[in-house]
Amino acid sequence: MGKLKHPGPGFLPFGLACLLIALALALILSQWKMGNAKAPFWPEGTWRRPLLGVGVFILYAFLIEYAGFLITTFIFLVLWLWVIEKINWFRIMAVSVAVTAVLYLIFGYFLEVPLPAGFLA
Amino acid sequence: MGEILNIFQGLADGFGIAFSLTNLTFALIGAVLGTIVGILPGLGPSATISLLLPLSFKIGSPVTSIIMMAGIFYGAMYGGSTTSILVNIPGEAASVVTCIDGYQMALKGRAGPALGMAAIGSFVAGTIGVLGLTFVAPPLAEFALKFGPPEYFSLTLLGLVMATLLGGDSIIKGLIMVVLGLLLGSVGLDPISGAIRFTWGFHMLQEGIDFVTLAMGMFGIGEIFYNLEKVLKTELVTRKISHLWPSLKDWMDCKWPIVRGSFIGFLIGILPGGGAVISSLVSYAVEKRVAKNPEEFGKGAIQGVAGPESANNAAASASFIPLLTLGIPGNAAIAMIFAALLIQGVTPGPFLITEKPDVFWGVVASMYIGNVMLLILNLPMVGLWVQLLRVPYSILAPIIILFCCVGVFSVRNSVFDIWVMGIFGVIGYIFRKVGLEPGPLILAFVLGPILERSIRQALLMSAGSPSIFLTRPISGALMTALILFIGFQIFMNRRKRGQREKI
Repeated sequence: MGKLKHPGPGFLPFGLACLLIALALALILSQWKMGNAKAPFWPEGTWRRPLLGVGVFILYAFLIEYAGFLITTFIFLVLWLWVIEKINWFRIMAVSVAVTAVLYLIFGYFLEVPLPAGFLA
Repeated sequence: MGEILNIFQGLADGFGIAFSLTNLTFALIGAVLGTIVGILPGLGPSATISLLLPLSFKIGSPVTSIIMMAGIFYGAMYGGSTTSILVNIPGEAASVVTCIDGYQMALKGRAGPALGMAAIGSFVAGTIGVLGLTFVAPPLAEFALKFGPPEYFSLTLLGLVMATLLGGDSIIKGLIMVVLGLLLGSVGLDPISGAIRFTWGFHMLQEGIDFVTLAMGMFGIGEIFYNLEKVLKTELVTRKISHLWPSLKDWMDCKWPIVRGSFIGFLIGILPGGGAVISSLVSYAVEKRVAKNPEEFGKGAIQGVAGPESANNAAASASFIPLLTLGIPGNAAIAMIFAALLIQGVTPGPFLITEKPDVFWGVVASMYIGNVMLLILNLPMVGLWVQLLRVPYSILAPIIILFCCVGVFSVRNSVFDIWVMGIFGVIGYIFRKVGLEPGPLILAFVLGPILERSIRQALLMSAGSPSIFLTRPISGALMTALILFIGFQIFMNRRKRGQREKI
């Protein structure tokens, strides 16, 4: 950590950690004084869509290494539009195919990003 | 005299650069993208610039990529008002107050003049802002050459504290975000001794947390998870927009609000921590106070559209001043442009104008051109962009997520970064839910290394005595300003609380 005369690598992080503890205590104290900490974190069913979104995202990050960019992106779009947005199947398919193709063209083809190919390779 | 001549010479060279075909094209791309993200609610300039950061490797020259990113930033200020007026949802944060009177005007069938005045005010103020940038930045940069580590520390601290206190409603919450941002910034190699900090055994973290990953997670992904809670519906008040050109009476009403808005925006934009959002709020308050019939505000007063829309544009231009002369970004969107410059190997600071005149003057000149482009895009062509509001957010959201994933992957070709971005996305979502604004965190993350290097160098200079921050005149003045500002803010909060208790 070092001293004031010779501040080392732990100097700033240590100071910041102390400050953070103080601020956290101050926040708890101020909330407690106001006494209105009763609001629920997710009012009435609003948890569903965000949690589904996180779930589909995790699936995407997990699958992309094995199934490759094209398949995973397509699955991601279908799942998202079907499970979360519940739009009709014709639109789901149209949007999923079009977006996957456009993204592949922009990033894979024009910008030459080596997108994961998965088992297609 | 010589200095003024130098400025004109630089500006002329800058126009030479900005008028090249490549740079004109990218200025136009920036202006169009800015207008689009300004119009689309749920997608702001900060998120868009962070999306494009990985691309800036591919664009090549630093001037070209910054010209485009700057265009996105000030272009969004033009587009934001359109959604506020027609849908009563701010297209982006700096157009929140435009909803109040703009939407009322639209309900009364005056959407045309509201849109027209917003675009004209934006153009006038944007140009005044760039003029200010042209003439204020060079002398300021020369002054900043005198700055040593203690001055940089004081200035950075002042910027961070002001960004926090001006930004949100809770000082404690804002400061927590700043401290978290600084801590995240300290992951990886220590800038002075090279020691490894907070990597938890992940060797991918040794280079530190990547700015693109953090910004896309917090702004891109986090924002989308948050917006998923509610179903965003964009219903237009009117399909047909006519009479874009304001009447003579509208002109007379708006003349002074535009001028006042421009100056308010410019002054607030220069301040470290100031920015487009705050300036539009201040301008609205000022217009309401000086108006002959303040009771019309909230019922469709055109001054309440012209003033704030001018202010946010002037502020957007002015906030380039601290970035390009001091190397200290004042708000989240500018922090993204700061990161873009670093990616391109250009360190913004007092030496920028003399060492990379092509970057500085090229970008400044492009801003004059960009404002003209935006006036054309947003006045005769506004009807075209309005159609964008028909694209449902439900389809837009997964596309933005995919853009973020591919973008972050392309930086180092690593899936690991997609995971890190996702984690920051979830954190960003939770932060928004509990009322913690991610803006100060991003700013602190960017400023962290500057802050750390300067405080440690300053303490080495003074052999450990913190009085060095007060005894050097410039640093002392900045610290005094900091203390006065905090005092003023606490006083204002007390007064506000006192008033609330009386009610």
